[in-house]
Amino acid sequence: MSVFSPAEPERMRVFTLAEPQREVALVSELAALTERHRRACAPYRRVLDAIQAGPPYERLADLPWLPVRLFKTHELRSVPEDQVFRVLTSSGTTGQRPSRVYLDREAAAAQPRMLAATLREVLGGRRLPMLVVDSRSVVRDPTLSARGAGVLGMMNFGRDHTFVLDERGRVDAEAVKGFLARHGGERFLIFGFTFMVWLYLRDLGADLSQGTLVHSGGWKRLAEQAVDNAEFRRRLAAECGLTRVHNFYGMVEQIGTVFLEGPDGDGLYCPDFADVVVRDPETWQEVPVGEPGLIEVVSTLPTSYPGHVLLTEDLGVVRGVDDGCWPGKRFEVLGRLPRAEARGCSDTMGRS
Amino acid sequence: MLDDPKLDVRFPAAPPAPAEDLLGELRGGLDVGDERVREFLSAFGKLLLRPALARRHPELGSLGFFLRPSELARTVDGLANEHVRVPRGMVFHIPPANVDTVFVYSWALSALMGNRNIVRLSPRSGAVAEVILETLHDALTDADPVIAATQRIVSYGRSDSVTAALSAACDLRVVWGGDRTVQEMRRHPLAPHARDLVFPDRSSFAVVGAAAWLCAPRAARVTVAEGFVNDTYWFDQAACSSPRTVFWVGAEGDCDTARADFCEHVSRVVAVRGWGVDAAMAVEKRVSTYGLAADGLAESIEFRGNALANVTLSAAAAAPRQWLGAGTFAHARLGSLAELGSLVERRDQTMTHFGFARAELEQLARELGGRGVDRMVPIGSALSFHRVWDGFDLPAEFTRLVTVIR
Repeated sequence: MSVFSPAEPERMRVFTLAEPQREVALVSELAALTERHRRACAPYRRVLDAIQAGPPYERLADLPWLPVRLFKTHELRSVPEDQVFRVLTSSGTTGQRPSRVYLDREAAAAQPRMLAATLREVLGGRRLPMLVVDSRSVVRDPTLSARGAGVLGMMNFGRDHTFVLDERGRVDAEAVKGFLARHGGERFLIFGFTFMVWLYLRDLGADLSQGTLVHSGGWKRLAEQAVDNAEFRRRLAAECGLTRVHNFYGMVEQIGTVFLEGPDGDGLYCPDFADVVVRDPETWQEVPVGEPGLIEVVSTLPTSYPGHVLLTEDLGVVRGVDDGCWPGKRFEVLGRLPRAEARGCSDTMGRS
Repeated sequence: MLDDPKLDVRFPAAPPAPAEDLLGELRGGLDVGDERVREFLSAFGKLLLRPALARRHPELGSLGFFLRPSELARTVDGLANEHVRVPRGMVFHIPPANVDTVFVYSWALSALMGNRNIVRLSPRSGAVAEVILETLHDALTDADPVIAATQRIVSYGRSDSVTAALSAACDLRVVWGGDRTVQEMRRHPLAPHARDLVFPDRSSFAVVGAAAWLCAPRAARVTVAEGFVNDTYWFDQAACSSPRTVFWVGAEGDCDTARADFCEHVSRVVAVRGWGVDAAMAVEKRVSTYGLAADGLAESIEFRGNALANVTLSAAAAAPRQWLGAGTFAHARLGSLAELGSLVERRDQTMTHFGFARAELEQLARELGGRGVDRMVPIGSALSFHRVWDGFDLPAEFTRLVTVIR
């Protein structure tokens, strides 16, 4: 998966569109995608027919959405089997089947290109020396975990990859010292899962002031320790001098699309080819700014499978529109919606 | 893996003890239909029927009603024949964790049949189970000491050794609560003479005669809709006897009209009762119904708010057996009741019905020939426990016959 081709065309910017223009552009593109998937993906067509969804779609919120979990239970692709170039799978948490996402050659090429364009906004156009807050073994495991896949994907954006943890999961102080001796005075990239960053980066006692941290993976375990994003950023700045910190939110079902935290930490921003709609799970209507609801993610990247309008099982809130450091909506992920559990007379010993 | 061999003894309340101690102190000495058990169960049932309690937990009212003296007498009298009926011995019950009252029905019938009982109550059991345990202790105060000597309700966490010990010691093991639990329990051998009585995963459906529905007076239709809502929303439609599909029997036009009217009534009852579902359940319903559509099984999906979803099946044969989330109903049309013959599966348990004569239902039962459907009860009675359940005559299962010929 090569991201930066040597002959990279002129730098593409992806945080440029204010919400009104963005909505106009996205609605027509997504409406066209909806009809394209309707023609090409029979299960998707049957869902649209059953819920009687059809154009015209005037606003983003008018577009019919699919629950993201449908990619775990169903094979949803809009290209013939022989044109599938790559099948991506997510981690199947708690005994669930993993999501499967089908990419043709075109989608497989677009997705790293757009991811690169998005991250370039904070990393610049050149590959930076890279510190990975994990162990090399996560990318070597033949049954690659979601964490491993995430690390591997991000490694495309760096060079001279140095792992903070050794093969046994302990901090490798020598390796970090060596890395900082080589690169500590120039800009470098740090990547890790949020919880790993919190656990291991602060203890290094190193000066990371030239680093740019990109992290993802959810706040649940940190929330349990009463650490929120503000505290996370404050402590990293105070203890490691790390001030360039960007959380991101994305999912395998919309591969290539990441919602990236702005420099001020005031929320996650949508690249120009994507957006979010926060819905009230009672009325399913879009909620006003400041009100929490379920996050729907939209993106024009899913061209080979009907993943362009997805209702996630994450709760979130739009904090503002066209009022931050980048244009468009800025939002916050509040956590996962707890799964519904049947109260019926099934499976008692097995789960107790 | 945590494997604490001690059990939490919850009835009669006692300090935690290993399984061996529990088995050692459990005494016999009861007869089938023992007067002392009848007295205890009646007293317990009467306490459950106290207005304040029954109002707070209506399912305890049903339980109290089940335990009234006349019902207990009927159960015992129904067993009379030329053989001498004796208790089976020691019965080990594994009830479901999430339907709090099931353990009482199972245990009470077994105790009434004179058995020693150990009930394994899940540590995850809910508030109603606590109320039941309290009430049992209240009833124990005036009960004959033989009750305390012969009956135990215990809890323990994930402990294979305790399950193994209790399984090896019992004469009958009663497993409620689904395929996985049954499989899990079968890993633990029983004594050679002992046997399992199992209640695996089941699913249920409703059948409505369209013409009968259309002819029924409004009050009757309202009552049926209320009964249907009780049948389905009480345990989030996940109880195995809660219907998931409604089959409409009759001419197409009649079925369409009847179904529309039925859904209108159900919708109103749901609204009046204030039944709602939380966000997770609402998403669950979208996942499951969209999934049915994606598979080509659902022709249309209609949401009336989050609480009620109606799915029109593309064919009656597409009736889903899996749980689709609370208040999600699949609908299909049948030309006649007999068409159910080719649709019923072994796992179908309860058929709730409206608009059919007894003779029609009996004929259907014979035609099904045991391939499925164990209960045909009016809409509104899906959750009413009966001493014959899943095709088993429980009092008979809880006893043995001694042949005496002279």
